[in-house]
Amino acid sequence: MALFEILAYLAIGVGVMIAIGSVTFIGPSQLSVLRENWRFRLREVSPYLGLLAGILAINKVARQVGPEISWVVGLNITSYIYRIEGDFVAFVQSIATDQLTVYFSFIYLYGYVFLLVFPFILTFALRETKYLKQTAVAFALNYSLGLIFYILFVSYGPRNLIPDLVDPLMYSMYPQSQLLTGEVNSNTNVFPSLHTSLSVTVAYLAWFTRDRFPYWFVTSCFLAASVVMATMYLGIHWGTDVVAGTILGLGSVHIARKHYEIFEFLRVDLWSLPVFNRLR
Amino acid sequence: MPPDPSSAPAPPRALSRRTLLAGLATGSLAATSGCIRQLRTLANRDAPDQVSLEIKTAPADADPRSIYIARFLSSNLNAVGIETSIVPMSLEELLRDVLLNQSFDIYVMRHPRTASPNFVYSLLHSRFDAEPGWQNPFGYANLGVDDMLDEQRTQSGDAREATLHEIQSAVARDQPFAPIAIPDEIRATRGDRFSGWSAADMHTLLGYLRLRPTTTETPEQPQNGPTNETTTETSQQTTAPPLRMTLKDPRATRNLNPIAVEFRGDGDITEMLYDPLARPIGGDLVPWLAHEWSWVDSDTAGPAVEVTLREDLLWHDATPLTAADVAFTFDFLRDTSGGALDSPVPAPRYRDRSTLVTQAVETGRRTVRIEFEPVSREVAQTAFSLPLLPKHIWETKTGQATIAGLDTIGGVTEALIWSNSNPVGSGPLRFVSATDGESLTLAPFDDHFLTRDVSDGPLAPFQGGFEPSELEFVVVPSDGAALALMEQDDADATASPLGAESISQIGQSDVLRLHVSKPTSFYHVGFNVRQSPLSNPRFRRAVAQLLDKQHIVNEVFGGYASAIATPLAPYPVAAPALRWEGEDPELPFPGEDGELDIELAKESFRSAGYRYNEAGELLRR
Repeated sequence: MALFEILAYLAIGVGVMIAIGSVTFIGPSQLSVLRENWRFRLREVSPYLGLLAGILAINKVARQVGPEISWVVGLNITSYIYRIEGDFVAFVQSIATDQLTVYFSFIYLYGYVFLLVFPFILTFALRETKYLKQTAVAFALNYSLGLIFYILFVSYGPRNLIPDLVDPLMYSMYPQSQLLTGEVNSNTNVFPSLHTSLSVTVAYLAWFTRDRFPYWFVTSCFLAASVVMATMYLGIHWGTDVVAGTILGLGSVHIARKHYEIFEFLRVDLWSLPVFNRLR
Repeated sequence: MPPDPSSAPAPPRALSRRTLLAGLATGSLAATSGCIRQLRTLANRDAPDQVSLEIKTAPADADPRSIYIARFLSSNLNAVGIETSIVPMSLEELLRDVLLNQSFDIYVMRHPRTASPNFVYSLLHSRFDAEPGWQNPFGYANLGVDDMLDEQRTQSGDAREATLHEIQSAVARDQPFAPIAIPDEIRATRGDRFSGWSAADMHTLLGYLRLRPTTTETPEQPQNGPTNETTTETSQQTTAPPLRMTLKDPRATRNLNPIAVEFRGDGDITEMLYDPLARPIGGDLVPWLAHEWSWVDSDTAGPAVEVTLREDLLWHDATPLTAADVAFTFDFLRDTSGGALDSPVPAPRYRDRSTLVTQAVETGRRTVRIEFEPVSREVAQTAFSLPLLPKHIWETKTGQATIAGLDTIGGVTEALIWSNSNPVGSGPLRFVSATDGESLTLAPFDDHFLTRDVSDGPLAPFQGGFEPSELEFVVVPSDGAALALMEQDDADATASPLGAESISQIGQSDVLRLHVSKPTSFYHVGFNVRQSPLSNPRFRRAVAQLLDKQHIVNEVFGGYASAIATPLAPYPVAAPALRWEGEDPELPFPGEDGELDIELAKESFRSAGYRYNEAGELLRR
């Protein structure tokens, strides 16, 4: 099946990126930290990872029924967005070349997945667990707030409303990629851009560990900027989605850093689970 | 133009109120008493608003043509001072809003394929104004047209043709909708596994029944097993391969209710599951489940017919199909509540045909007598193509529809909202499985009459029924993805038609073959005639004029379409006065090659009685 093939490519590609990233950004000396006390740290952060896993599971289910609910309770804001920004995305696409399309398509699929996965490995390599906890909470906030927006608003991206001006560049060059993105996203969920908010989240979080991982900070900023640009360049998102996504991303990090500890209560319950007893 | 009483009053003007309060606040009440009266008179008048219209249509993913047409219309409407917004909606939601809820100003859509010109009866007759479905979604009412529509049903031959010509002229003048173009249907096949593809009816039951496997598949054999006589024999027991089609429209994976109008489109999959008494084949109505029919004398004004069914017909659940099911279907389509509710709830689909029948009575196990309205036999027999429904299943769906037992929706029966996710029909294909939004699998029905009845008539090409082992529809997000799957041998052909951009890609491929056909379905722009300003035919004509159909055909359809001025253009009864010769015979575009002559276009609105303000905005009144 074609979808399976695409997934395999994605897994291999991102796997290679993570391997290279681990060596370059974390470094052999810091990687050794991964080996010491990892049980303790895993136990420390497990409630947070559990929270994120729970949110992702809810998201997965809600993304299937969400669009149906949206059509009942949601507001179709596509034309309002268009009225706000007009043909801005078409302006962005005026720089399009085949090379840029290859680059941004790669970023949109591979770069984005790498950007999402790598921070967990990176922060796990730190002795302090708070960075990993904050990352998990910030991600959970992104996904849950994003889901609420997706249910409240129905909106189609520029490629669906103004196809005479905006080309679905990635889907034209790699038609199979739409099989994959179609599995993950509904075409009525573009406001806000979760690609943007999560990328901004990662880059903003990288700022706080910049002393430890200066190269990662620079790289994540560059990757995040590329993902943000890709969402518009590929005709998938409006500029408005990107602005909203940026606010969502920054807000999520802000809240996560201030209040992440309120989720400590989750640990009490998990602590008593036999699985965690054995880890002790 | 007088203010339209039906339009909602504009909200009170904040500005005029503030002006009034400011006047009071000055304290010079006495001095301004005369002025106040004037102010009040002014404040209580609604200031003229700019005309603003909403255009509903499907997003580019579902139908790129419609959104282009909507964009073209929208930009020209803006140019003549009318504010517009385009609202993209999923196909189901769009059809719900337009056909069921009648909540729209303008829509752009494709009318489904039709089998006979008779469809204009329900499309245009004012008696269907209040009914949901593809019957008069516009709310069009012209008593003269009504009379002619009734008249043509009783006529035949030249007389009927003359009446149909008149109807077309009257409707072209009134423009309850603007017919745009009939697109060529472009499809691709892989030639290696099946033969018998024909462009004209590829994604239809008859098209699928014509296919013959060119290869056979060997069931998987263990590679390292002992190779003796027995296994060699088993390996020769081959089966036909499954047929895998790509589908862009996922609606059939969610709903297989043949009468649910918002889920049904062209070449619909339910026609493969539900057999009629007769099917139109090569321009003739050929007995299908009916063995034969004979016209009989009737006591009523209309004709009557006695239909005899074939022997030993079965539903997919092995229940015998009898005359009782036929009689039930004709009654049921006219009233899905089975007489249980105060007023009948007709099925919103097939109204052009279900309204022909007055009564159907079973006269034997295999015979049924059908009585018709006073219509000609030529028109009456189109009712034989209605899909037959199993009584034992559908008679349980006649109750009023409720939401989780909380609320009752008046005038809607369970039959209309039922998703029918495990359909029991009698067609040559039966339902196997479906995954929402992903795939749908059908398989040959072994007890179908085509597998046993031998005939050398028009049914001969379909002898034996459906030959591939399965018919699988895979939902794809785009034309590009469909072609990619075919190139990788994950699909055999495209069920949904492709855009003209795909042609070059098909041409460059070694394995894909191109098929182009001219169907009867047409793109059109529909107007909601129930509300101002679209209730004004002069206004509608001025709007319809903004559509440069020839330009749309060239640019949007890449030339693979025919511009039209009447929905009956593909039929021999098309009005000669409305024939397309380079430009619209009724409403020529003011401008050239899609470039609008704005002043000329504005003049049409002015002469329809509308005014412009200094900003160039067209005012509501």
